[in-house]
Amino acid sequence: MSKEPGNEIKLIDTLWLVLISLTLFSAWMAERADPGFISVAIMAAVLAIKGRIIVDHFMELKHAHKLLRSLMRAYFYVIPALIIIVYLFPEQIARWTTLS
Amino acid sequence: MNSFSQTMSEAMPEKHFSFTSKARNVPGNLAIWAAILSEMSEFAVMFIVYFLAKVHHPELFHEGPTRLNTTAGTANTLIMLTSSFFVVRAVMAVRANQLITASRWLWGAVLCGILYLIIKYFEYQWNTMQGLNTETNIFYGVYYYVTFNHLLHVGWGSAGLVWVIYRIYTGIYTCKQHEGLINMALYWHMIDLAWITIFPLLYVIR
Repeated sequence: MSKEPGNEIKLIDTLWLVLISLTLFSAWMAERADPGFISVAIMAAVLAIKGRIIVDHFMELKHAHKLLRSLMRAYFYVIPALIIIVYLFPEQIARWTTLS
Repeated sequence: MNSFSQTMSEAMPEKHFSFTSKARNVPGNLAIWAAILSEMSEFAVMFIVYFLAKVHHPELFHEGPTRLNTTAGTANTLIMLTSSFFVVRAVMAVRANQLITASRWLWGAVLCGILYLIIKYFEYQWNTMQGLNTETNIFYGVYYYVTFNHLLHVGWGSAGLVWVIYRIYTGIYTCKQHEGLINMALYWHMIDLAWITIFPLLYVIR
């Protein structure tokens, strides 16, 4: 993040607008698009981007302690990945998680 | 004794022993991170339950989101993101030594928290009128478990923000020393992170 306070504020304001736009976009997609792989993949990507913005810039972990940063960033790789995996392979996962 | 402690401090510089956040490049203190990581893990377990229930009951999870109030879910997402933004601006104001401005940003975040709770109340009412409740089916069971849990976090998180505002008024924070405020800010962002994950899972993806 830029050291200049004015630039820092500008960056945060812009990121807020990005977060709001992404949310409105995904709500619009939810209403409009047929549920299919592309729309699920876009939802997962939107979640990954929003999570990363909050972790890096709002929580200020971008240049912070490496383990903490990695853990928090990983959350927003793993959950979006699970969204896609669960969409693609529901039957297999159901089979693996059934107690016979 | 003196020479011993001198040797010790030379052999092991202070930073190796420090649990303070500055030395470790951690925003806030380690205690709040223990709390945040525990909470994130708790929500992760709920998300795993969601995924497992979804693969075992695909029809219910396909139909479930369509009967929820997407407008309420979207509004609360916008509100949570905005509240987090207000909290960041409050932290920036404190760093610029503008304490009153900081308290105003924080009041904005508290208002967002209250608005979120009001919307949630009407959303639950709306659900009840549609005949949806915790026992309708497993989708709504998961929905109520996760969203009610999140609602509680917003409730006590808002109370925490009010406490931080009170601390600003008592003059406890300065532009250099305001770790309590940073801790609360981080906790609030965690609540926001949980919600931006809940929103697509329960309201959007079918």
